[in-house]
Amino acid sequence: MDLKLIQRLIAMMNRGGLAEIDLEDSNAGIKLRLKRESAAPPPQAPLVHLLSGGHALGGPMMHQAQAGVPAAHGSDALAKKELIGTPIPSPMVGTFYRSASPESEVFVAVGKRVTTDSVLCIIEAMKVMNEIKSEVSGEILEILVENGEPVEYGQPLFLVKTS
Amino acid sequence: MFRRILIANRGEIAQRVIRACRELGIETVAVYSTADADAIYLRQADETICIGPAASAKSYLDIPSIIAAAEVADADAIHPGYGFLSENEHFAEVCRSCKITFIGPEPETIAKLGDKVAARALAHAAGVPIVPGSDGPVEDETKAIAVAAKIGYPIMIKAAAGGGGRGMRIARNEPSLVTGFHAASSEAKAAFGDGTVYLEKFVENPRHIEVQIMADKHGKIVHLGERDCSIQRRHQKLIEESPSPALTPELRERICKSAVAVAKHANYQNAGTVEFLLGRDGNYYFIEVNARIQVEHCVTELVTGLDLVQLQIRMAAGEKLPFDQSDVRFNGHAIECRINAEDPDRDFQPSPGKIDLFVPPGGPGVRLDSHAYSGYRIPPNYDSMIGKLLAHRARRDLAVRTMVRALDEFIIQGPKTTIPLLRNVLNHSDFRAGDHDTGFIERYYGSHPGIPMGRKDNA
Repeated sequence: MDLKLIQRLIAMMNRGGLAEIDLEDSNAGIKLRLKRESAAPPPQAPLVHLLSGGHALGGPMMHQAQAGVPAAHGSDALAKKELIGTPIPSPMVGTFYRSASPESEVFVAVGKRVTTDSVLCIIEAMKVMNEIKSEVSGEILEILVENGEPVEYGQPLFLVKTS
Repeated sequence: MFRRILIANRGEIAQRVIRACRELGIETVAVYSTADADAIYLRQADETICIGPAASAKSYLDIPSIIAAAEVADADAIHPGYGFLSENEHFAEVCRSCKITFIGPEPETIAKLGDKVAARALAHAAGVPIVPGSDGPVEDETKAIAVAAKIGYPIMIKAAAGGGGRGMRIARNEPSLVTGFHAASSEAKAAFGDGTVYLEKFVENPRHIEVQIMADKHGKIVHLGERDCSIQRRHQKLIEESPSPALTPELRERICKSAVAVAKHANYQNAGTVEFLLGRDGNYYFIEVNARIQVEHCVTELVTGLDLVQLQIRMAAGEKLPFDQSDVRFNGHAIECRINAEDPDRDFQPSPGKIDLFVPPGGPGVRLDSHAYSGYRIPPNYDSMIGKLLAHRARRDLAVRTMVRALDEFIIQGPKTTIPLLRNVLNHSDFRAGDHDTGFIERYYGSHPGIPMGRKDNA
């Protein structure tokens, strides 16, 4: 199962307002159901239910899929988030990096206190590394994008508990 | 062939390019600003990326954002559409250095043809008539008189640093040339900080004739016939048609040959249009080259049966032009009306906002390229064109009849549109006779655009 494919399917679901997609990869012997839970707020994104599958999959696969999915596209997911954090949207399209270079420390982690001067991340566009500053002061609640992932303009990057 | 094309544009042309890509089996990446999040064509794109806020400068004109989108979406080519970055040589150059194919001419070609003085010189070198002029600044009235005597009256006195019709004066004889020369110069000095003027022959109420060019990357260039775009308002085209009712077969051949000569001289690649003015005396003069696909390309598509956007993509991918000049066939007559969300009764003020009901026309001989739909909110941030309506029939009078029928059927409730004006023009005797020029709109609708056809009120 291709993680990128799952991410794209989830984005498609959110865009098209779909509730459920069943996937089958007969070669790998995997069946997967992507389902939007409208009742209970999903931890990050639409839940990925592993219906049946080869031994090689199991927990890590599902875990990976859940963790890797940007909650970004789902306005559904975001609506729930508004209760617990202020989203920091991306000011540009590009590639998201959590640190200045592969060897450096990440700029922020969950729990870190930030001010409007704090650099949260880098967004790279056309080889230019743009430092993205926080718009609010508070504590990082959640990081919504994976290192190295593409982001679009307006896509929520972080959730901050303002104070 | 390209695997994935990013469309660096919006509105009806974005839809047009996506359609061409889908038929060629090429994946599409549509970029959009926040103001275009409800665009209908986003549903047909394989990937959509929001690249910025409504302001064009921060979205559709923002080169780093467009390139970043192409890179994250892994696009191997970009189609720039028309307007925006389509004739920006810097953008074409950036695409090249990022190893993304720009679907259009080479950056150097865009730069050369974008410089109007250089383009004129190029046309002249290609042996094509250009509007006679002083070919450089005119320093004093003595020189002005000499140049004017050589070119012949009437003369247009133009500010070198000017534009948009400012700093221009018409002189019909020597005394008015002298006063005009000094007046234009001081006006230019005040407005642009530079009083330099030059002279050009003033072509009285010309017709606007343009020729569609298509070229591959292997030196083969053909023309696809002309379009007559004489119905204009303040230099904005309203109606275009092909063939031009003003051309004899002999004149048509000469103008089209001239267009190819200019394109060859420029080592042109991909799609482009060479524009001419045609005087009442039958003389034609090169004015400029539009080094991109144009709004009115559909007119040529209908009479030739070719898909110009698909050809652009294929030529950009390095394919050879699959036909010769002698293979090009012209069938029937096609007319295009640009449908703008503007209020003709309020000096064509833009009329954005929600379209409550949108019922497009149809039936034989009708083509509509529009991204609008019932419930669509026309954003106020961009140009007001919401669609292009075309009619194609065996003869001009039949095409006009079909167009009038289609305009009558077309329901757009909510914003004001130019549909009533277009109907008036199509019903006007001068237009029906094919005896119209670029002065038509000003003459009949200049002071009172709302007045129905036939009445030339000057009150």
